Amino acid sequence: MRHRTKYGMAAAALAAMSLILSACSGTSGAGGASGGAVTHVAGAPSWCGTKKISFALLDGFGGNSWRLVTTASGKAEAAKCPSVTKFLYADGQGNTSKAISDIKGMASRGVNAMVVFPDAGKAVLPALTSAYKAGVVTVPYRVDPGGKAGVNYDKWIGDDFANDGNNWAAWIKKVVPNGGNILFMGGPAGNSQSVTEYDALKANLGSSYTFIDQTPFVPTNWDPTLTQTLLSAAIAKYPKIDVIVSDFGPTLVSSLPLFTKSGRAIPALATSDGNSLSCFWKSQQSSHPFKLMTVATGNDNVRLAVDYAVAKATGGKIPTADSFKSPVFEDSTDSSKPVDCQSSLPGDVYLSAQMPGAQQAALSK
Amino acid sequence: MIAKRVRMSTSTRQEPRLLSSARFPVSKGLITIGAATVLLFVVCAVFAQSSVSPTALQGMLPIAAVLAVAGLGQMLVVQQGGIDLSVAGAMSLAVVTVTHLPDQNNGLLLPSVLLAVVFAVVAGLANGLLIGALGLNPIIATLGTNALLYGVNLGISGGRPTITTTALQNVMTDSVLGIPYSVFFAIAALVLVTVLVRRTVPGRRFEFIGANPRAARAVGLRTRLHQTSAYVWAQLLYCLAGVMIAGITAQPSAYSGDSFLLISVAVVVLGGTSLLGGRGFPLATVIAAVFLQQLVQFVLALGVSTAIQTVVQAAALAVGVSLYTVDWPGIWRRVTGRRRRVPTATPA
Repeated sequence: MRHRTKYGMAAAALAAMSLILSACSGTSGAGGASGGAVTHVAGAPSWCGTKKISFALLDGFGGNSWRLVTTASGKAEAAKCPSVTKFLYADGQGNTSKAISDIKGMASRGVNAMVVFPDAGKAVLPALTSAYKAGVVTVPYRVDPGGKAGVNYDKWIGDDFANDGNNWAAWIKKVVPNGGNILFMGGPAGNSQSVTEYDALKANLGSSYTFIDQTPFVPTNWDPTLTQTLLSAAIAKYPKIDVIVSDFGPTLVSSLPLFTKSGRAIPALATSDGNSLSCFWKSQQSSHPFKLMTVATGNDNVRLAVDYAVAKATGGKIPTADSFKSPVFEDSTDSSKPVDCQSSLPGDVYLSAQMPGAQQAALSK
Repeated sequence: MIAKRVRMSTSTRQEPRLLSSARFPVSKGLITIGAATVLLFVVCAVFAQSSVSPTALQGMLPIAAVLAVAGLGQMLVVQQGGIDLSVAGAMSLAVVTVTHLPDQNNGLLLPSVLLAVVFAVVAGLANGLLIGALGLNPIIATLGTNALLYGVNLGISGGRPTITTTALQNVMTDSVLGIPYSVFFAIAALVLVTVLVRRTVPGRRFEFIGANPRAARAVGLRTRLHQTSAYVWAQLLYCLAGVMIAGITAQPSAYSGDSFLLISVAVVVLGGTSLLGGRGFPLATVIAAVFLQQLVQFVLALGVSTAIQTVVQAAALAVGVSLYTVDWPGIWRRVTGRRRRVPTATPA
């Protein structure tokens, strides 16, 4: 009897071991390159491996120009790799339950890799987790879905918003060296992007710089009409504004003339790029010049996420960067980064993106 | 049946609202909101001077003008006992029509404004037929129309904002003697609505039908026609409000109308027009728009957090609405009456 239980125990242990092993190989199998050798398709970028895959790009909300450019950029990036034989796209249309069913639907359609803009944040984490568990290479980007890499998804490719804050702070120190009043206009109240930027600004700028009005930021909802109301109140209230910081520059265009109307100079502006803003800067050069610096608005964040997902699924070389750092795009005080206005193009193209402006303009037609 | 009875009772109650001693009839709504607005400006001047500075007023007036025009449209519908939730979709559609179609080409501005007017008439007829002719609930019908309008909007714009034409921007943002042109558009809309409703025969019928549709039908008035016309006129005013927003904002979003949905109803109520229909008070509605927008400036100038700002606006609205709808003297009588009765009721 004792012998039989011993053999039984050993057999059970063996069975358990094999189950665990097979489970392990199950999850890492889809990852492809995680264990195996790095492969590469000749003539393609290094992240493009040889294994043929189908690929899905999922948006939580696709209805604005920024998203349109971003989606097209993601598609263009995937097209660089011939191993991606099928490209699928789904738009959650701002509806969380549709976004969840899109993710599940793509996983059940057997895509090998997916890049997801998780607008709804943690609400889509269970769907991401089930896709990851089903063996799909799952890469959420930009918005933090919570959870952990290697448990709920392969990797989250965020945007390094602190980097934007650091770039703005360095520029502010250059153009207003002796300290001054800073008005920071951010997105909806409490949004993590604007909070992160504020923290970085605050950490970099000394006590000689004062943040006026609401802190961490004036909540504009990134809405031009509301921005106008808020800025007119701020202009009336503060006789001295040295720098305006905004994380969505084009929303300021209609509000800035309020300064000149009230007989004041437009303050130095540290923000993100947009053709309308650059062209406004140019149009004011003769009459009411002001200093402008922009960081790239981050359409190319999606490209890094696509690189990562495709590399992992096809067996290519996985990129080392784990978040997107927006470079400084324009600086009116630095001749090597001139303000770029292309008046023949619509105002809502982002010339900082890899995709050429004319191509972006054609997207809405 | 109950609703109709209520309607009749409000129409009989409406007469005491007018001050008979005044040379021109002045409504209770106009006195209340007028006094509140004057008081607000006094409070602003004392506690937050920056909110009444020329810069702040230049920022406030254009938005107040847009709100006034949208509120006038909503008032016409409310006068017929209805409510128009398609104001958001209508304004947003006008915005994208006059920004996307010309695509910064001034020559195409006028045709696109005309197209926006066509859209407005079609949407107004749709609302009017659904509610006036088919008798659908206005909330459901206008919500449906709102979705349709957004469908057309997204078809044109794809949700993208486009830069407005310089011609429209100049028309709306230039000013004369420090008063932005947009204010004159609001005044023109006010004069138009007042004259049409108060000085013309169809306008008088329109008010009568709103006050008591059954009696109006009994007299032989074409109630359906007038109810439908309310929605068409409202859409035309929303269209004007949308065009104004498109000029005031350099790069207006495709959802610009959304933020005007609730406050367009709010200004109507603050202006003293009953949600049950009947008399409308255009001037009071326009003053209410200035009041609400100045209140925003005041709260911003105080520098309180966003949470408090929202609470203050909601509180102002609640107080305003309760002034007209709650029978305060009756409540006072009941409270004081009970107190008087209590000692006699207790057995000694």
